[in-house]
Amino acid sequence: MSADKAVLVTLNVQGIGPEAAAQPESSLHGRDAHGRYAYGGGLARVLDMLRRQGVRATLFWPVFEAERCRDLLEQSLRDGHEAASQGNAFEDLAALGDREGEMLERARDRLAGLTGSIPRGFRYTSSAFTPDTVPLLHRLGYRYDSSAIDDDAPYPLDDDGGPGMVELPWSEGLCDATHFSRRVTQDRAYAHWVEQGDALLAADGYACLTLHPRADNGVGRAARLRKVEQLLERFRAAGAGFMTCAELAARHAHSG
Amino acid sequence: MQRIPYGVPPDACPNPWLPLDRELRAQGLRAPDAAPVRAVLCVTVHVDGPAVEVGRKQFPAGPHTAGRYAIRRGVPRHLEILARHGMPATFFACGYDVEHYPAVFRDILAAGHEIAAHGYLHEAWDLGEDEPALLEKTHRIIQRELGVTPVGWCSPSGRKSHRTLPALRRLGYRYDASEKDQDRPYLPASPGGAAADFIMLPNNTVSLDDYPFYFTGHSLAAEAYDNWVQEFEALRRAEGYVHLTVHPKAGGGSGTPARAAALDRFLAYVAVQPDVHVMTLEALARHCLAHPDSWRNA
Repeated sequence: MSADKAVLVTLNVQGIGPEAAAQPESSLHGRDAHGRYAYGGGLARVLDMLRRQGVRATLFWPVFEAERCRDLLEQSLRDGHEAASQGNAFEDLAALGDREGEMLERARDRLAGLTGSIPRGFRYTSSAFTPDTVPLLHRLGYRYDSSAIDDDAPYPLDDDGGPGMVELPWSEGLCDATHFSRRVTQDRAYAHWVEQGDALLAADGYACLTLHPRADNGVGRAARLRKVEQLLERFRAAGAGFMTCAELAARHAHSG
Repeated sequence: MQRIPYGVPPDACPNPWLPLDRELRAQGLRAPDAAPVRAVLCVTVHVDGPAVEVGRKQFPAGPHTAGRYAIRRGVPRHLEILARHGMPATFFACGYDVEHYPAVFRDILAAGHEIAAHGYLHEAWDLGEDEPALLEKTHRIIQRELGVTPVGWCSPSGRKSHRTLPALRRLGYRYDASEKDQDRPYLPASPGGAAADFIMLPNNTVSLDDYPFYFTGHSLAAEAYDNWVQEFEALRRAEGYVHLTVHPKAGGGSGTPARAAALDRFLAYVAVQPDVHVMTLEALARHCLAHPDSWRNA
Protein backbone atom coordinates (compact mmCIF):
# COMPACT_ATOMS: atom_id res chain seq x y z
CA MET A 1 0.00 0.00 0.00
CA SER A 2 1.32 3.37 -0.98
CA ALA A 3 1.86 5.36 2.19
CA ASP A 4 2.00 8.81 0.72
CA LYS A 5 -1.04 8.92 -1.56
CA ALA A 6 -4.32 7.45 -0.36
CA VAL A 7 -7.57 7.26 -2.30
CA LEU A 8 -10.81 6.39 -0.52
CA VAL A 9 -13.54 5.05 -2.77
CA THR A 10 -16.83 5.66 -0.97
CA LEU A 11 -20.36 4.77 -2.00
CA ASN A 12 -23.42 6.51 -0.61
CA VAL A 13 -25.88 3.66 -1.02
CA GLN A 14 -29.06 5.44 -2.04
CA GLY A 15 -32.00 4.01 -3.96
CA ILE A 16 -35.56 5.25 -3.55
CA GLY A 17 -34.81 6.12 0.11
CA PRO A 18 -34.35 9.90 -0.27
CA GLU A 19 -37.71 10.27 -2.03
CA ALA A 20 -39.46 7.75 0.23
CA ALA A 21 -38.52 9.90 3.21
CA ALA A 22 -40.75 12.66 1.87
CA GLN A 23 -43.74 10.79 0.48
CA PRO A 24 -45.24 7.29 0.48
CA GLU A 25 -43.31 4.94 -1.74
CA SER A 26 -46.48 3.81 -3.48
CA SER A 27 -46.89 7.33 -4.86
CA LEU A 28 -43.41 7.44 -6.43
CA HIS A 29 -43.44 6.94 -10.20
CA GLY A 30 -41.63 8.24 -13.25
CA ARG A 31 -39.45 11.25 -12.52
CA ASP A 32 -39.87 10.67 -8.76
CA ALA A 33 -38.67 7.06 -9.00
CA HIS A 34 -35.19 7.39 -10.50
CA GLY A 35 -33.89 5.85 -7.27
CA ARG A 36 -35.25 2.42 -8.13
CA TYR A 37 -32.53 2.11 -10.77
CA ALA A 38 -30.14 1.33 -7.90
CA TYR A 39 -32.13 -1.90 -7.34
CA GLY A 40 -32.71 -2.43 -11.07
CA GLY A 41 -29.00 -3.06 -11.66
CA GLY A 42 -27.11 0.05 -10.55
CA LEU A 43 -25.77 -1.21 -7.23
CA ALA A 44 -24.85 -4.66 -8.56
CA ARG A 45 -22.96 -3.00 -11.41
CA VAL A 46 -20.99 -0.77 -9.06
CA LEU A 47 -19.95 -3.83 -7.03
CA ASP A 48 -18.95 -5.62 -10.23
CA MET A 49 -16.83 -2.65 -11.23
CA LEU A 50 -15.06 -2.55 -7.85
CA ARG A 51 -14.30 -6.26 -8.12
CA ARG A 52 -12.91 -5.82 -11.63
CA GLN A 53 -10.69 -3.05 -10.30
CA GLY A 54 -9.67 -4.95 -7.18
CA VAL A 55 -10.63 -1.97 -5.06
CA ARG A 56 -12.02 -2.32 -1.55
CA ALA A 57 -14.42 0.52 -0.90
CA THR A 58 -16.47 1.92 1.97
CA LEU A 59 -20.23 1.64 1.57
CA PHE A 60 -22.29 4.02 3.69
CA TRP A 61 -25.60 2.25 4.33
CA PRO A 62 -28.84 3.80 5.49
CA VAL A 63 -30.80 1.07 7.29
CA PHE A 64 -33.61 1.66 4.77
CA GLU A 65 -31.37 0.56 1.87
CA ALA A 66 -29.45 -2.11 3.78
CA GLU A 67 -32.67 -3.98 4.58
CA ARG A 68 -33.80 -3.71 0.96
CA CYS A 69 -30.49 -4.87 -0.54
CA ARG A 70 -29.50 -7.61 1.90
CA ASP A 71 -28.05 -9.90 -0.79
CA LEU A 72 -25.81 -7.19 -2.17
CA LEU A 73 -24.87 -6.02 1.32
CA GLU A 74 -23.67 -9.53 2.11
CA GLN A 75 -21.91 -9.75 -1.25
CA SER A 76 -20.13 -6.46 -0.54
CA LEU A 77 -18.82 -7.87 2.74
CA ARG A 78 -17.58 -11.03 1.01
CA ASP A 79 -15.77 -8.76 -1.46
CA GLY A 80 -13.95 -7.08 1.42
CA HIS A 81 -15.79 -3.76 1.38
CA GLU A 82 -16.44 -1.89 4.59
CA ALA A 83 -20.01 -1.32 5.77
CA ALA A 84 -20.42 2.04 7.53
CA SER A 85 -23.54 3.83 8.67
CA GLN A 86 -25.57 6.42 6.82
CA GLY A 87 -28.23 6.70 9.50
CA ASN A 88 -31.69 5.21 9.30
CA ALA A 89 -33.98 6.50 6.57
CA PHE A 90 -32.86 9.96 5.44
CA GLU A 91 -34.41 11.78 8.39
CA ASP A 92 -33.64 15.42 9.11
CA LEU A 93 -31.41 15.19 12.17
CA ALA A 94 -32.34 18.67 13.37
CA ALA A 95 -36.03 17.83 13.25
CA LEU A 96 -35.54 14.82 15.53
CA GLY A 97 -34.80 16.92 18.61
CA ASP A 98 -34.32 14.72 21.66
CA ARG A 99 -34.73 11.58 19.57
CA GLU A 100 -31.56 12.12 17.53
CA GLY A 101 -29.45 9.91 19.83
CA GLU A 102 -32.10 7.19 19.86
CA MET A 103 -32.25 7.19 16.04
CA LEU A 104 -28.47 7.09 15.63
CA GLU A 105 -28.19 4.24 18.11
CA ARG A 106 -30.97 2.26 16.45
CA ALA A 107 -29.38 2.83 13.03
CA ARG A 108 -26.02 1.59 14.31
CA ASP A 109 -27.56 -1.48 15.94
CA ARG A 110 -29.74 -2.43 12.98
CA LEU A 111 -26.83 -2.17 10.55
CA ALA A 112 -24.68 -4.19 12.95
CA GLY A 113 -27.46 -6.80 13.05
CA LEU A 114 -27.28 -7.13 9.27
CA THR A 115 -23.50 -7.14 8.91
CA GLY A 116 -22.49 -8.89 12.13
CA SER A 117 -20.16 -6.14 13.26
CA ILE A 118 -20.47 -2.66 14.75
CA PRO A 119 -19.87 0.03 12.11
CA ARG A 120 -16.84 2.18 12.80
CA GLY A 121 -17.69 5.00 10.46
CA PHE A 122 -20.56 7.37 9.78
CA ARG A 123 -21.56 9.70 6.98
CA TYR A 124 -24.68 11.79 6.72
CA THR A 125 -25.25 14.36 4.03
CA SER A 126 -29.06 14.25 3.90
CA SER A 127 -29.43 16.97 6.49
CA ALA A 128 -27.47 19.35 8.67
CA PHE A 129 -25.69 18.10 11.78
CA THR A 130 -26.84 19.38 15.15
CA PRO A 131 -24.45 20.43 17.94
CA ASP A 132 -25.12 16.98 19.44
CA THR A 133 -24.32 14.87 16.39
CA VAL A 134 -20.55 14.43 16.77
CA PRO A 135 -20.72 13.90 20.57
CA LEU A 136 -23.46 11.30 20.00
CA LEU A 137 -21.34 9.52 17.38
CA HIS A 138 -18.48 9.49 19.87
CA ARG A 139 -20.69 8.01 22.58
CA LEU A 140 -21.86 5.33 20.11
CA GLY A 141 -18.27 4.25 19.56
CA TYR A 142 -17.69 5.60 16.07
CA ARG A 143 -14.03 6.02 15.14
CA TYR A 144 -14.57 8.39 12.26
CA ASP A 145 -17.05 10.62 10.50
CA SER A 146 -16.97 11.38 6.77
CA SER A 147 -19.65 14.04 6.31
CA ALA A 148 -17.63 17.25 6.19
CA ILE A 149 -16.10 19.08 3.22
CA ASP A 150 -13.88 21.47 5.19
CA ASP A 151 -10.38 20.09 4.59
CA ASP A 152 -8.14 18.37 2.04
CA ALA A 153 -6.94 15.73 4.49
CA PRO A 154 -8.08 13.83 7.58
CA TYR A 155 -8.08 15.75 10.86
CA PRO A 156 -8.95 15.01 14.51
CA LEU A 157 -12.49 15.71 15.76
CA ASP A 158 -11.46 16.42 19.34
CA ASP A 159 -12.53 20.07 19.10
CA ASP A 160 -15.93 19.05 17.70
CA GLY A 161 -16.81 16.87 20.66
CA GLY A 162 -15.37 13.66 19.29
CA PRO A 163 -12.15 13.00 21.25
CA GLY A 164 -10.08 10.35 19.49
CA MET A 165 -12.30 10.46 16.40
CA VAL A 166 -11.07 11.36 12.94
CA GLU A 167 -12.81 13.33 10.21
CA LEU A 168 -12.27 11.90 6.71
CA PRO A 169 -13.57 14.75 4.57
CA TRP A 170 -15.19 14.05 1.23
CA SER A 171 -14.87 16.35 -1.73
CA GLU A 172 -17.74 17.87 -3.70
CA GLY A 173 -15.67 18.08 -6.86
CA LEU A 174 -14.73 14.41 -6.60
CA CYS A 175 -18.34 13.28 -6.25
CA ASP A 176 -20.57 11.99 -9.06
CA ALA A 177 -23.77 13.69 -7.88
CA THR A 178 -22.20 17.16 -7.94
CA HIS A 179 -21.77 16.94 -11.70
CA PHE A 180 -24.54 14.60 -12.82
CA SER A 181 -27.20 16.54 -10.92
CA ARG A 182 -26.33 19.29 -13.44
CA ARG A 183 -26.81 16.77 -16.28
CA VAL A 184 -23.35 17.21 -17.74
CA THR A 185 -22.04 14.53 -20.05
CA GLN A 186 -19.94 11.79 -18.53
CA ASP A 187 -16.86 13.05 -20.37
CA ARG A 188 -17.35 16.42 -18.69
CA ALA A 189 -17.84 14.77 -15.28
CA TYR A 190 -14.67 12.75 -15.84
CA ALA A 191 -12.74 15.91 -16.70
CA HIS A 192 -13.92 17.47 -13.43
CA TRP A 193 -12.86 14.39 -11.45
CA VAL A 194 -9.43 14.37 -13.04
CA GLU A 195 -8.89 18.07 -12.36
CA GLN A 196 -10.01 17.75 -8.75
CA GLY A 197 -8.44 14.39 -7.97
CA ASP A 198 -5.01 15.13 -9.43
CA ALA A 199 -4.80 18.39 -7.49
CA LEU A 200 -6.00 16.86 -4.22
CA LEU A 201 -3.45 14.06 -4.40
CA ALA A 202 -0.71 16.58 -5.20
CA ALA A 203 -1.75 18.84 -2.32
CA ASP A 204 -2.03 16.51 0.66
CA GLY A 205 -1.86 13.00 -0.78
CA TYR A 206 -5.51 12.33 0.09
CA ALA A 207 -8.53 12.03 -2.17
CA CYS A 208 -12.01 10.81 -1.26
CA LEU A 209 -14.07 9.73 -4.27
CA THR A 210 -17.81 9.63 -3.59
CA LEU A 211 -20.21 7.64 -5.77
CA HIS A 212 -23.91 6.78 -5.84
CA PRO A 213 -25.52 3.69 -7.46
CA ARG A 214 -28.42 5.62 -9.03
CA ALA A 215 -28.67 6.45 -12.72
CA ASP A 216 -29.71 10.09 -12.44
CA ASN A 217 -27.17 11.61 -10.06
CA GLY A 218 -24.92 8.59 -9.78
CA VAL A 219 -22.80 6.18 -11.77
CA GLY A 220 -25.07 3.11 -11.82
CA ARG A 221 -25.18 3.23 -15.63
CA ALA A 222 -22.68 0.96 -17.37
CA ALA A 223 -21.31 3.77 -19.56
CA ARG A 224 -20.62 5.98 -16.55
CA LEU A 225 -18.89 3.17 -14.68
CA ARG A 226 -16.40 2.95 -17.54
CA LYS A 227 -15.40 6.54 -16.70
CA VAL A 228 -15.02 5.66 -13.02
CA GLU A 229 -12.74 2.78 -14.00
CA GLN A 230 -10.61 5.14 -16.08
CA LEU A 231 -10.33 7.43 -13.07
CA LEU A 232 -9.30 4.62 -10.72
CA GLU A 233 -6.72 3.44 -13.26
CA ARG A 234 -5.38 6.97 -13.49
CA PHE A 235 -5.04 7.27 -9.69
CA ARG A 236 -3.35 3.87 -9.54
CA ALA A 237 -0.89 4.82 -12.29
CA ALA A 238 -0.06 7.96 -10.32
CA GLY A 239 1.06 5.78 -7.42
CA ALA A 240 -1.98 6.14 -5.18
CA GLY A 241 -3.10 3.27 -2.95
CA PHE A 242 -6.74 2.45 -2.25
CA MET A 243 -7.89 1.82 1.29
CA THR A 244 -11.09 1.71 3.25
CA CYS A 245 -12.11 4.58 5.48
CA ALA A 246 -11.69 2.41 8.61
CA GLU A 247 -8.12 1.54 7.61
CA LEU A 248 -7.16 5.16 7.10
CA ALA A 249 -8.95 6.26 10.29
CA ALA A 250 -7.02 3.62 12.26
CA ARG A 251 -3.76 4.86 10.82
CA HIS A 252 -4.54 8.42 11.90
CA ALA A 253 -5.69 7.32 15.34
CA HIS A 254 -2.35 5.55 15.89
CA SER A 255 -0.24 8.38 14.53
CA GLY A 256 -2.29 11.14 16.16
CA MET B 1 -35.20 -6.68 -6.92
CA GLN B 2 -31.77 -6.88 -8.52
CA ARG B 3 -32.17 -7.57 -12.20
CA ILE B 4 -28.49 -7.77 -13.03
CA PRO B 5 -26.97 -10.70 -11.20
CA TYR B 6 -23.85 -9.72 -9.37
CA GLY B 7 -20.65 -11.10 -10.82
CA VAL B 8 -21.64 -11.05 -14.50
CA PRO B 9 -18.80 -9.77 -16.68
CA PRO B 10 -19.89 -6.83 -18.81
CA ASP B 11 -19.92 -8.82 -22.03
CA ALA B 12 -21.58 -11.94 -20.63
CA CYS B 13 -25.16 -10.64 -20.45
CA PRO B 14 -27.30 -13.16 -22.35
CA ASN B 15 -28.79 -11.77 -25.55
CA PRO B 16 -32.50 -11.12 -24.87
CA TRP B 17 -33.23 -10.35 -28.52
CA LEU B 18 -32.86 -13.76 -30.14
CA PRO B 19 -36.64 -14.40 -30.20
CA LEU B 20 -37.06 -11.02 -31.92
CA ASP B 21 -34.37 -11.97 -34.39
CA ARG B 22 -36.21 -15.21 -35.22
CA GLU B 23 -39.50 -13.33 -35.58
CA LEU B 24 -37.98 -10.79 -37.98
CA ARG B 25 -36.42 -13.53 -40.11
CA ALA B 26 -39.68 -15.46 -40.23
CA GLN B 27 -41.38 -12.29 -41.49
CA GLY B 28 -38.68 -11.71 -44.05
CA LEU B 29 -37.66 -8.48 -42.33
CA ARG B 30 -34.05 -9.48 -41.75
CA ALA B 31 -31.62 -10.66 -44.38
CA PRO B 32 -30.64 -14.34 -44.06
CA ASP B 33 -26.95 -13.43 -43.79
CA ALA B 34 -27.50 -10.58 -41.28
CA ALA B 35 -25.93 -10.84 -37.83
CA PRO B 36 -28.30 -11.82 -35.00
CA VAL B 37 -30.00 -8.84 -33.37
CA ARG B 38 -28.05 -7.89 -30.24
CA ALA B 39 -29.60 -4.50 -29.53
CA VAL B 40 -32.79 -2.60 -30.27
CA LEU B 41 -32.91 1.14 -30.89
CA CYS B 42 -36.15 3.02 -30.34
CA VAL B 43 -36.05 6.63 -31.50
CA THR B 44 -38.67 8.69 -29.72
CA VAL B 45 -39.45 12.24 -30.78
CA HIS B 46 -41.28 14.37 -28.21
CA VAL B 47 -42.96 16.88 -30.50
CA ASP B 48 -43.71 19.36 -27.67
CA GLY B 49 -45.10 22.10 -29.84
CA PRO B 50 -46.95 25.21 -28.59
CA ALA B 51 -48.83 22.96 -26.15
CA VAL B 52 -45.91 23.44 -23.78
CA GLU B 53 -46.14 27.24 -23.77
CA VAL B 54 -49.94 27.22 -23.61
CA GLY B 55 -49.73 24.81 -20.68
CA ARG B 56 -47.53 27.35 -18.94
CA LYS B 57 -50.14 30.02 -19.62
CA GLN B 58 -47.81 31.78 -22.07
CA PHE B 59 -49.27 33.13 -25.29
CA PRO B 60 -47.43 31.16 -28.00
CA ALA B 61 -46.13 34.07 -30.07
CA GLY B 62 -43.19 36.43 -29.85
CA PRO B 63 -40.50 34.97 -27.58
CA HIS B 64 -42.67 32.02 -26.43
CA THR B 65 -42.29 30.14 -29.71
CA ALA B 66 -39.77 27.38 -28.97
CA GLY B 67 -42.66 24.95 -29.51
CA ARG B 68 -43.68 26.59 -32.77
CA TYR B 69 -40.14 25.93 -33.95
CA ALA B 70 -40.88 22.21 -33.66
CA ILE B 71 -43.90 22.56 -35.93
CA ARG B 72 -42.27 24.89 -38.47
CA ARG B 73 -38.75 23.50 -38.64
CA GLY B 74 -37.88 20.74 -36.20
CA VAL B 75 -40.36 18.03 -37.16
CA PRO B 76 -39.75 18.36 -40.93
CA ARG B 77 -36.02 18.26 -40.27
CA HIS B 78 -36.28 15.14 -38.10
CA LEU B 79 -38.57 13.48 -40.66
CA GLU B 80 -35.97 14.11 -43.35
CA ILE B 81 -33.18 12.62 -41.21
CA LEU B 82 -35.24 9.55 -40.28
CA ALA B 83 -36.24 9.00 -43.90
CA ARG B 84 -32.63 9.18 -45.03
CA HIS B 85 -31.65 6.48 -42.51
CA GLY B 86 -34.80 4.46 -43.22
CA MET B 87 -35.66 4.39 -39.53
CA PRO B 88 -39.17 4.23 -38.07
CA ALA B 89 -39.70 6.35 -34.95
CA THR B 90 -42.30 7.03 -32.28
CA PHE B 91 -43.60 10.60 -32.12
CA PHE B 92 -45.18 11.60 -28.81
CA ALA B 93 -47.89 14.16 -29.39
CA CYS B 94 -49.71 16.53 -27.05
CA GLY B 95 -53.47 16.74 -27.68
CA TYR B 96 -53.39 20.52 -28.07
CA ASP B 97 -50.76 20.31 -30.82
CA VAL B 98 -52.73 17.68 -32.74
CA GLU B 99 -55.86 19.84 -32.46
CA HIS B 100 -54.14 22.96 -33.77
CA TYR B 101 -51.53 21.56 -36.18
CA PRO B 102 -52.99 18.30 -37.52
CA ALA B 103 -51.17 18.61 -40.85
CA VAL B 104 -47.73 18.06 -39.32
CA PHE B 105 -48.92 14.91 -37.55
CA ARG B 106 -50.47 13.60 -40.78
CA ASP B 107 -47.04 14.07 -42.36
CA ILE B 108 -45.54 12.00 -39.54
CA LEU B 109 -48.05 9.20 -40.11
CA ALA B 110 -47.62 9.36 -43.86
CA ALA B 111 -43.90 8.78 -43.37
CA GLY B 112 -44.69 5.53 -41.58
CA HIS B 113 -43.99 6.58 -37.99
CA GLU B 114 -46.00 5.91 -34.84
CA ILE B 115 -48.05 8.55 -33.03
CA ALA B 116 -48.33 8.08 -29.26
CA ALA B 117 -49.84 10.24 -26.52
CA HIS B 118 -48.02 12.83 -24.43
CA GLY B 119 -50.62 14.74 -22.41
CA TYR B 120 -52.93 17.52 -23.58
CA LEU B 121 -50.89 20.60 -22.61
CA HIS B 122 -47.70 18.75 -21.59
CA GLU B 123 -49.00 18.86 -18.03
CA ALA B 124 -45.98 18.72 -15.71
CA TRP B 125 -48.09 19.30 -12.63
CA ASP B 126 -50.34 17.15 -10.48
CA LEU B 127 -53.68 16.69 -12.22
CA GLY B 128 -55.58 15.15 -9.33
CA GLU B 129 -58.94 13.65 -10.22
CA ASP B 130 -58.92 15.30 -13.66
CA GLU B 131 -56.13 13.07 -14.92
CA PRO B 132 -58.19 10.20 -16.42
CA ALA B 133 -60.44 12.64 -18.29
CA LEU B 134 -57.43 14.50 -19.70
CA LEU B 135 -55.82 11.26 -20.87
CA GLU B 136 -59.06 10.39 -22.62
CA LYS B 137 -59.34 13.87 -24.13
CA THR B 138 -55.99 13.59 -25.92
CA HIS B 139 -56.78 10.00 -26.90
CA ARG B 140 -60.00 11.09 -28.61
CA ILE B 141 -58.33 14.07 -30.31
CA ILE B 142 -55.71 11.81 -31.88
CA GLN B 143 -58.39 9.39 -33.03
CA ARG B 144 -60.60 12.14 -34.43
CA GLU B 145 -57.95 14.26 -36.14
CA LEU B 146 -55.59 11.56 -37.35
CA GLY B 147 -57.73 8.44 -37.62
CA VAL B 148 -55.36 6.30 -35.55
CA THR B 149 -55.63 4.91 -32.03
CA PRO B 150 -52.52 5.44 -29.92
CA VAL B 151 -51.35 2.45 -27.88
CA GLY B 152 -48.49 4.17 -26.05
CA TRP B 153 -48.03 7.02 -23.63
CA CYS B 154 -45.05 8.85 -22.21
CA SER B 155 -45.55 11.23 -19.36
CA PRO B 156 -44.83 14.86 -20.12
CA SER B 157 -41.99 15.69 -17.67
CA GLY B 158 -42.13 12.23 -16.08
CA ARG B 159 -45.06 13.04 -13.78
CA LYS B 160 -47.35 10.12 -12.99
CA SER B 161 -49.84 9.16 -10.34
CA HIS B 162 -51.64 6.08 -9.12
CA ARG B 163 -54.46 7.01 -11.51
CA THR B 164 -52.32 6.93 -14.66
CA LEU B 165 -51.91 3.25 -15.50
CA PRO B 166 -55.51 2.22 -14.70
CA ALA B 167 -56.78 5.04 -16.94
CA LEU B 168 -54.41 4.10 -19.78
CA ARG B 169 -55.37 0.44 -19.55
CA ARG B 170 -59.07 1.29 -19.66
CA LEU B 171 -58.40 3.17 -22.91
CA GLY B 172 -56.63 0.15 -24.37
CA TYR B 173 -53.04 1.36 -24.17
CA ARG B 174 -50.32 -1.30 -24.33
CA TYR B 175 -47.26 0.52 -23.01
CA ASP B 176 -45.95 3.32 -20.79
CA ALA B 177 -42.57 4.89 -21.60
CA SER B 178 -42.12 6.94 -18.43
CA GLU B 179 -40.23 4.85 -15.88
CA LYS B 180 -36.47 5.15 -15.38
CA ASP B 181 -35.67 2.19 -13.16
CA GLN B 182 -34.33 -0.46 -15.55
CA ASP B 183 -32.49 -0.70 -18.84
CA ARG B 184 -34.99 -3.20 -20.23
CA PRO B 185 -38.70 -3.57 -20.93
CA TYR B 186 -40.66 -5.18 -18.10
CA LEU B 187 -44.19 -6.19 -17.19
CA PRO B 188 -45.61 -4.05 -14.38
CA ALA B 189 -46.41 -5.86 -11.16
CA SER B 190 -50.08 -6.74 -11.42
CA PRO B 191 -52.03 -7.85 -8.39
CA GLY B 192 -53.40 -11.33 -8.90
CA GLY B 193 -51.17 -11.98 -11.91
CA ALA B 194 -53.43 -10.28 -14.42
CA ALA B 195 -53.10 -10.88 -18.14
CA ALA B 196 -49.90 -9.68 -19.80
CA ASP B 197 -51.52 -6.90 -21.81
CA PHE B 198 -49.33 -3.93 -20.84
CA ILE B 199 -45.58 -3.37 -20.80
CA MET B 200 -43.24 -0.77 -19.35
CA LEU B 201 -40.75 0.56 -21.91
CA PRO B 202 -38.48 2.73 -19.70
CA ASN B 203 -36.98 5.91 -21.08
CA ASN B 204 -33.58 7.31 -20.20
CA THR B 205 -33.84 10.99 -19.39
CA VAL B 206 -30.35 11.18 -17.93
CA SER B 207 -28.06 10.10 -20.73
CA LEU B 208 -30.05 9.29 -23.90
CA ASP B 209 -32.09 12.49 -24.04
CA ASP B 210 -31.17 15.79 -25.66
CA TYR B 211 -32.99 18.22 -23.39
CA PRO B 212 -31.15 17.55 -20.08
CA PHE B 213 -27.76 17.80 -21.80
CA TYR B 214 -28.58 20.95 -23.75
CA PHE B 215 -30.85 22.81 -21.35
CA THR B 216 -29.48 21.82 -17.94
CA GLY B 217 -25.97 20.64 -18.79
CA HIS B 218 -25.31 23.31 -21.42
CA SER B 219 -23.49 20.72 -23.54
CA LEU B 220 -22.21 21.21 -27.04
CA ALA B 221 -23.96 19.08 -29.64
CA ALA B 222 -20.65 17.27 -30.14
CA GLU B 223 -20.58 16.40 -26.42
CA ALA B 224 -24.14 15.07 -26.49
CA TYR B 225 -23.25 12.96 -29.53
CA ASP B 226 -20.23 11.46 -27.74
CA ASN B 227 -22.33 10.63 -24.69
CA TRP B 228 -25.01 8.95 -26.81
CA VAL B 229 -22.41 6.82 -28.54
CA GLN B 230 -20.83 5.78 -25.21
CA GLU B 231 -24.24 4.95 -23.79
CA PHE B 232 -25.15 2.96 -26.89
CA GLU B 233 -21.88 1.01 -26.77
CA ALA B 234 -22.35 0.16 -23.08
CA LEU B 235 -25.98 -0.90 -23.52
CA ARG B 236 -25.36 -3.10 -26.56
CA ARG B 237 -23.06 -5.21 -24.38
CA ALA B 238 -25.72 -5.53 -21.68
CA GLU B 239 -29.50 -5.43 -22.01
CA GLY B 240 -29.36 -4.05 -25.55
CA TYR B 241 -32.32 -1.72 -25.07
CA VAL B 242 -31.50 1.75 -26.40
CA HIS B 243 -34.28 4.30 -25.93
CA LEU B 244 -33.29 7.66 -27.41
CA THR B 245 -35.40 10.77 -26.87
CA VAL B 246 -35.12 13.97 -28.89
CA HIS B 247 -37.17 17.15 -29.02
CA PRO B 248 -37.59 19.02 -32.33
CA LYS B 249 -38.19 22.30 -30.48
CA ALA B 250 -35.84 25.23 -30.17
CA GLY B 251 -34.28 26.07 -26.80
CA GLY B 252 -32.98 22.80 -25.34
CA GLY B 253 -34.15 20.55 -28.15
CA SER B 254 -32.58 19.05 -31.26
CA GLY B 255 -34.55 20.85 -33.93
CA THR B 256 -31.97 23.52 -34.74
CA PRO B 257 -29.37 22.79 -37.44
CA ALA B 258 -26.34 22.15 -35.20
CA ARG B 259 -28.17 19.79 -32.89
CA ALA B 260 -30.17 18.09 -35.63
CA ALA B 261 -26.78 17.35 -37.20
CA ALA B 262 -25.67 15.60 -33.99
CA LEU B 263 -28.82 13.47 -34.09
CA ASP B 264 -28.14 12.71 -37.75
CA ARG B 265 -24.57 11.62 -36.94
CA PHE B 266 -25.72 9.41 -34.08
CA LEU B 267 -28.34 7.69 -36.24
CA ALA B 268 -25.71 7.24 -38.94
CA TYR B 269 -23.42 5.62 -36.36
CA VAL B 270 -26.14 3.18 -35.32
CA ALA B 271 -27.32 2.55 -38.88
CA VAL B 272 -24.06 0.83 -39.83
CA GLN B 273 -24.09 -1.55 -36.84
CA PRO B 274 -25.05 -4.92 -38.30
CA ASP B 275 -26.57 -6.28 -35.07
CA VAL B 276 -28.94 -3.43 -34.24
CA HIS B 277 -32.63 -3.39 -35.10
CA VAL B 278 -34.49 -0.08 -35.14
CA MET B 279 -38.17 -0.26 -34.26
CA THR B 280 -41.06 1.79 -32.89
CA LEU B 281 -42.13 1.41 -29.29
CA GLU B 282 -45.43 0.04 -30.56
CA ALA B 283 -43.63 -2.75 -32.43
CA LEU B 284 -41.44 -3.45 -29.42
CA ALA B 285 -44.46 -3.59 -27.10
CA ARG B 286 -46.17 -6.03 -29.46
CA HIS B 287 -43.07 -8.22 -29.51
CA CYS B 288 -42.64 -8.19 -25.73
CA LEU B 289 -46.30 -8.90 -25.02
CA ALA B 290 -46.13 -11.88 -27.37
CA HIS B 291 -43.35 -13.28 -25.13
CA PRO B 292 -44.43 -12.11 -21.67
CA ASP B 293 -42.40 -14.65 -19.72
CA SER B 294 -39.17 -13.10 -21.00
CA TRP B 295 -40.04 -9.71 -19.54
CA ARG B 296 -41.29 -10.46 -16.05
CA ASN B 297 -39.60 -8.92 -13.06
CA ALA B 298 -37.67 -11.10 -10.65
